[in-house]
Amino acid sequence: MSLILDHVSYIYGDDTTLAVKALDDVCLNIPDGQFVGVIGHTGSGKSTLMQHLNGLLKATSGSIYFNGEDIYDKDFDMKKLRSKVGLVFQYPEHQLFEIDVFSDVCFGPKNLGLDRKEVELRAYDALKKVGLPDELFYQSPFDLSGGQKRRVAIAGVLAMKPDVLILDEPTAGLDPKGREEILEQIKKLQTETGMTIILVSHSMEDVAKYVDRIVVMNRGKVMYDDIPKEVFRHYKELEEVGLAAPQVTYIMHALKQKGLAVDVDATTIEEATEQICLEILH
Amino acid sequence: MGIIKAENVTFEYIRRDEEGNVEGITTAVDNVSLDIEQGQFIAILGHNGSGKSTFAKHLNAILHPTEGTVWVNGMNTRHEEDVWDIRQTAGMVFQNPDNQIIGQIVEEDVGFGPENMGVPTKEIWERVEESLKAVGMYEFRKHSPNKLSGGQKQRVSIAGVLAMHPKCIVLDEPTAMLDPNGRKEVIRAIRALNDVEGMTVILITHYMEEIIYADKVFIMDKGKVAMEGTPREVFSQVEKLKKLRLDVPQVTLLAYELQKKGLPLPDGILTTEELVQELLDLKNGNLERR
Repeated sequence: MSLILDHVSYIYGDDTTLAVKALDDVCLNIPDGQFVGVIGHTGSGKSTLMQHLNGLLKATSGSIYFNGEDIYDKDFDMKKLRSKVGLVFQYPEHQLFEIDVFSDVCFGPKNLGLDRKEVELRAYDALKKVGLPDELFYQSPFDLSGGQKRRVAIAGVLAMKPDVLILDEPTAGLDPKGREEILEQIKKLQTETGMTIILVSHSMEDVAKYVDRIVVMNRGKVMYDDIPKEVFRHYKELEEVGLAAPQVTYIMHALKQKGLAVDVDATTIEEATEQICLEILH
Repeated sequence: MGIIKAENVTFEYIRRDEEGNVEGITTAVDNVSLDIEQGQFIAILGHNGSGKSTFAKHLNAILHPTEGTVWVNGMNTRHEEDVWDIRQTAGMVFQNPDNQIIGQIVEEDVGFGPENMGVPTKEIWERVEESLKAVGMYEFRKHSPNKLSGGQKQRVSIAGVLAMHPKCIVLDEPTAMLDPNGRKEVIRAIRALNDVEGMTVILITHYMEEIIYADKVFIMDKGKVAMEGTPREVFSQVEKLKKLRLDVPQVTLLAYELQKKGLPLPDGILTTEELVQELLDLKNGNLERR
């Protein structure tokens, strides 16, 4: 289920004096099953880009193809797109509303017009996928912890059986363990179900650890689009646009500068540990 | 007694079902005692639901302890007549900047606090100016807060508290909603307040990197203080922190992983410079320093 963006631009308040170009000639090709990280400072166009991927915003110019079909074609079924490209907003737990966890997750598939059995199967399956324990299924979603609420909200989107899952900062406000649990769960979803994952994040460490590919947004344009190693090689340029490399990258650069023969491309703790041990112990 | 002293503070609330029947009692803060000196930089860590925000709300009399006592600058928070003085002594900044800004223009927003205190107009403007300068937002004084970035808005929120001339500022996850740059700006502003102005700072956060310069760290779990000490002491206990659903700064974690592989590094390395120096010493076989 590939997504292709072909020269997509979007202008907020077009035709007014306050027009702002939020997306500027964006071209992306996101193939099946990839784990893509999107980074950029506040206002760089990340969220605007995400909202294009499931048709919440319509590009001012350019085209978007989902599975080879032009989503702006008048015969294209936008409703189907929205069930196939699931979007989890920031602080999604604010959108929980049902009396218990299970009913909340049922809400989406129920609205697809599926029969009750299928709805409940999907809800159960989705809650299992996010690793929520069974005993919480009939609790009020408001009695859960922050991390649990967020899982329920993600399950609500998963129950729609999307092919592409977009998450806008799914770990904001969670404690370190909660952050790790959510990301591990998402990674597992990708490897086990082959779902395409698009993760918007402010944590360079998380991006370095989990994703296959990073898209860096700046002023509505794609600044870099490459594997993490390649992107973080440009750490100086990233800093200029309000981003950074993972902390490990800075340590490796500092060591190299002092004359140690380490690979500055290491971006995760595991890679750095290996590199430093090689240099010091041998 | 320091600027803030908590003695055996316990806070319980009653859970009720939909009909209003009592379901049980939750102890959110459980027998916490601490003493904070004027001018200290204190950090409070803890996982979601550990009781740290509930505790923080005791420091300026938003909540009152079920048992025990909190004194702010010598005033008991239970004394109704001192509440205004207490809130002026200990100002609070919350997570979401959008919920804390009310003015149409930055300088009006910052002036809101002192205006409500009945400060003379001329002095209000002086306070607005110095507060905005202290957080590096003076050049934005005529801007609309709506057009600012998250980090800038949060610094305006901090200025709004500063303008009330508190002795102490309590920040409850002020950087949780910010991008890396915004986070850096806010932390820099907070550190400058503490270093330059001598303001007592109590910072609650989930980002371990933000507190390596704190004088003292308290770690909460199930409403209790589970660990306390300097950042170095606390971050030396990697496994214990992980059990408490927390973490250590990336540099500390890397040093810890290297230790596990057999490199003789000291515990609780906090900065890149320290780690680089230690590794260079190892490489050069210059070990007599230890």
